[in-house]
Amino acid sequence: MPAWLAPIVAPFIVLNVIIGIVTYVTLLERKFAARMQSRIGPYRVGPHGLLQPIADAVKLMIKEDVVPAAVDRPVFNLAPIVFLVPCMLIFATIPFAPGLGVADLNIGVLFFLAVSSMEIVGLFMAGWGSNNKYALLSAMRAVNQIISYDLPFIFSALVPVMLAGSLKLSEIAAAQDGLWFVFYPVIGQLAFAAFLVSTLAAENRVPFDILEAESELVAGFRVEYSGMKFALIQLGEYAHIVGSSFLGALLFLGAWAGPGPEWLGPIWFLLKAMFFFLLVTWVRWSFVRIRVDQILAFSWKVLLPSTLLLLVSTAVVVVWRHSGV
Amino acid sequence: MASEVRSAPTGTEAGVVLRAVTRAMWVTLLNLFRKPVTVHYPDTTRAYPERYRGLLALVYEKDTGEEACIGCRLCEYVCPPAVIKVEMLKSEKRNYAKTFTLELYACEFCELCVQVCPTDAIVMTKSFDLPTSDRREMLLDKDRLHALGLQHQPSWATGTLLREMQGPPKMVRAEAHARKEDEAARPGGAA
Repeated sequence: MPAWLAPIVAPFIVLNVIIGIVTYVTLLERKFAARMQSRIGPYRVGPHGLLQPIADAVKLMIKEDVVPAAVDRPVFNLAPIVFLVPCMLIFATIPFAPGLGVADLNIGVLFFLAVSSMEIVGLFMAGWGSNNKYALLSAMRAVNQIISYDLPFIFSALVPVMLAGSLKLSEIAAAQDGLWFVFYPVIGQLAFAAFLVSTLAAENRVPFDILEAESELVAGFRVEYSGMKFALIQLGEYAHIVGSSFLGALLFLGAWAGPGPEWLGPIWFLLKAMFFFLLVTWVRWSFVRIRVDQILAFSWKVLLPSTLLLLVSTAVVVVWRHSGV
Repeated sequence: MASEVRSAPTGTEAGVVLRAVTRAMWVTLLNLFRKPVTVHYPDTTRAYPERYRGLLALVYEKDTGEEACIGCRLCEYVCPPAVIKVEMLKSEKRNYAKTFTLELYACEFCELCVQVCPTDAIVMTKSFDLPTSDRREMLLDKDRLHALGLQHQPSWATGTLLREMQGPPKMVRAEAHARKEDEAARPGGAA
């Protein structure tokens, strides 16, 4: 393979694998949610419903693409793509095994955090372009929420960064060789809990799903979308969740570390990411939606100060341990 | 226990929230390991309840095997959404229904047709099983209604029985009721 081809082929493979994973993650969530409610979930399409995601994808592709008359056409049509691209870009920096990734940037964590909050641009475009009061309200709530929860998200993600002493994702993973950061006394668990909560909020999942609150905003910012555009938005949303799960597994759960030969690494990584995803889903099916003011109060009054304090105390611990007392 | 009256949670706000969070997560976690209650409907069916009343059907008389419907059109008159159409066929000993159509797609299952039927010809059956992808298949003619009557088990409620229950108390029943009350009033009598 010529050298110039590699930068094209590698993202292509990663993108397709990610789309495959994202498609099947919807089935995993539906099955898991069903079991929590004493149901079975998708069962009819293929053995145990294994072909359900494919059927859904085909259904969405052949659906009519309705564009309401009053929408702002360029913005409306562009929004799903602007929404999807950052959600897919976040996978660029994730190393799936030592040396196996698209681009192992030396500012990997920063890139991830910056790009993952860029999806809000597409989201707001969708809300604004739809020319629908529910969509607009939802988009404004989303912006509100992203601004409130990005700081705790970053602060809690910085704790492993400080413990590892690097922003490079592969080095953070390698630093957890002996001890996964989630098992780091006190600090690890607190940071993991804060990371989980702010991930929920950043992904707009229950109990922080005020922006799509079915009972008040119908379906939020994607209420006017149908067909393939709707599919793109769904894909972006789940890609974001899966990406955050990979990040969580990498920052706290030791990434590809696990028993067995080295080639099992990516599988361990995937399993850990799915574990993180199931944690998120578990929370989703356990709680009710909380109010806008409660969400904001929780972020600014509880989560932000406590993650900041955690960050400072992590710094103290790191300095104390390195000074060799 | 759900029936117990629980007192308002006490303690600090953070404590209350934390306890509620762990409790909610615990409940869903327990549910995760419970067996699903789903019945795979077309493969296995649940037993119908004893007093289930579903699809409408026409039945034959039990002793003679003749059609029970006499085409009196009472059901047509009483039907609120007017989905029943009957034509009478005059005959010597008794009359018959020349045609009997029931537009099941508009039927509201109020059971009034069953209640007025003087010969218990139209009944409800213990079934809801008539799915179709074409509305026209729900336009039931006389043959189809008879077929449904043979196919499904009729429910307990026939016109005569329902009228008996709803009508003013008959002399016999009033007397029986009075006798029972008498016995109950007498000390040690009812035991």
